[in-house]
Amino acid sequence: MTDLVAILISTIVLGSIYGLVAIGMTLIYGILRVLDMSQGSMVMAGGFVGWGLLVSAGTSPLLALAAAFAIAFLLGVATQLVSVQPLLGRSGIDFEMITFITTFAVAMVIQNVALEIFGPRQRDVPPVIGGTVDVYRGVNISYQSILMAAVSIGLMLMLGIFLTRSRYGMAIRAVAQDISAARLMGVPIRWMFPLVMGLASALAGVAGVFLGAQLFASPNAGDLPLLEALIVVIFGGLGSLPGTIYAAYAIGLIQSTVSVLIATTWSLPILYAVILVVLVLRPHGLAGRPSEARL
Amino acid sequence: MRRRRSLVPAAPGRIGAGAVLVLLVALAPLVYTDQYYLGIVVTTLILITLNSSWNFLLGMVGVWNFGQLAVYAAGGYAAGLIMIHSGVPGGVALLGGGLAAALLSIALAFPTLRLFGIYTSLLTFSFAQVIQFVIINDNTGITGGPFGLPEVRGLFGSLSPLDSMRAYYWTALAVAVATLVLTALTIRSSLGLALRALRDSLPYGAARGVSPLRYRVIAFALSGFVAGVAGGLYTSFNTSIGPGVMGLTPMSIYVTMIVIGGMGTLTGPVWGTALVVAIQQALINHPGIQLTVLGAILLVIVVFVPRGLVGEVATLARRLRAWIAEGDGDEEAEEPELVADRPAEVRTVPIEPARSPEAR
Repeated sequence: MTDLVAILISTIVLGSIYGLVAIGMTLIYGILRVLDMSQGSMVMAGGFVGWGLLVSAGTSPLLALAAAFAIAFLLGVATQLVSVQPLLGRSGIDFEMITFITTFAVAMVIQNVALEIFGPRQRDVPPVIGGTVDVYRGVNISYQSILMAAVSIGLMLMLGIFLTRSRYGMAIRAVAQDISAARLMGVPIRWMFPLVMGLASALAGVAGVFLGAQLFASPNAGDLPLLEALIVVIFGGLGSLPGTIYAAYAIGLIQSTVSVLIATTWSLPILYAVILVVLVLRPHGLAGRPSEARL
Repeated sequence: MRRRRSLVPAAPGRIGAGAVLVLLVALAPLVYTDQYYLGIVVTTLILITLNSSWNFLLGMVGVWNFGQLAVYAAGGYAAGLIMIHSGVPGGVALLGGGLAAALLSIALAFPTLRLFGIYTSLLTFSFAQVIQFVIINDNTGITGGPFGLPEVRGLFGSLSPLDSMRAYYWTALAVAVATLVLTALTIRSSLGLALRALRDSLPYGAARGVSPLRYRVIAFALSGFVAGVAGGLYTSFNTSIGPGVMGLTPMSIYVTMIVIGGMGTLTGPVWGTALVVAIQQALINHPGIQLTVLGAILLVIVVFVPRGLVGEVATLARRLRAWIAEGDGDEEAEEPELVADRPAEVRTVPIEPARSPEAR
């Protein structure tokens, strides 16, 4: 029973944070057909912003989260302008693959610039809030984890509301559904793309502050979240927002079950094995469909 | 003058220039004896072999395979294990590594048939990650886990250090040249034609009786074998192999090499690999900015010269020749660098009869 509760709590916490990183990737793919490999470095950047503000400047956690959001947003916009915008509408290239490589190149640059500035040392990021609460017979949950899950779910809900209710959100969905029709309706699609990539990166940046506190801030802190987010988006089907959210919790469940019952080191290989099976059985993920409107 | 577009021999001048270059490189260690730099050239030649096998799948077969490093490592481990546990000659161990890698590569070929585009790269990448994790977490003692296989006997144990280095140099050069020649012959054979047809339009190729399954398996087996031999060479040259040969960082460097040189071109991986190794050597005292510089170069190349340096040079040379031969009235006189880029006319030529049967 304690195992069950531990698994359940861990699922919600892990699933929420995976969802936060992965939902950005799937949003970018849904609109731009770009698998953004620079999302991991946004997580890393968020971690360093959290470390810098919480440790060195001693600012309030809320401000650190907001700053991570803003800085990652700007980084995301810059990444888009450098690595995706010049390739839009270029003929004779495989856009998906070329942008896969260019965003990867940006990730390489950001990561190694961080390595140069901060050095390879892992840095402790203090928890955004301290303290734990005993949930059930020795199963502890930290306030940090609760806040992490709450903020993640809150941000995902806000993203949902933004996409369905606001003018810009509807424009984004229109672009995802039919780019030509959206253009004809007067949606400035050129400006939608940096906006989307900035938003997605901002979410990853916020996740980075929390993940930095869970683990460390270090130049390669983004690698693992990137791989996990990749697993989530493949599992859920690239470009499908609901699919990604289900997949995030499903992956969280698998990972916490493996961690609690077997060993943490095995969770990632087992996830990859699951992904291999899923891709062979359902080539477009659980909820993904080839070339259809997915948002 | 119009030439046939496929199955033609390369321009004799180009073959001659290549032969002279190979000869010069082959003679270099007789004059130049600095073992450090000879070692770097050996590593470069091994990487050229690996990158050519990878480029064959990426650019010529058109499968976005990011699992090649697992295949390469499999060849390296297999060759290393054969050399540790048996007394067979080193060459047999290399072939054994190649065969093991080919088998793994074939296993990877089947699932890729069900996937398209980005999902292929994700699946193959996950495959490589699983292999790496399995090796790192292997505590049966077969692969040595995170520490790898230590103290593999080399190919040329009895020679003096300099002679051994020269022997590796010539072996690696022979393997790299053989790989390039084989690749060129494959592209120009009917096998290459079939692979190109499937790359450019899988449904159309299949409809014309080119079996996607059969040719995908053949292509993966060929590429895997070459990568495995390269892996075996790596293991015997370094007398060890570890899980560090796989993973994100090596992959990003090798992809940079292929893309800078020109993905899908025959000689692109050669120049790309040489150039990146040269950049790494130039920045050897600033290890921190190596990858930053490489990442920036990769970005610039992809955005401004998406077909790579060799592809771009081929286009420029073609334009120059067209400009010189202006007045001939035949604008498409020269064949582009092998099947390098995908000129529209090459793609449409075999399709035309089927598209308009009523016109015939």
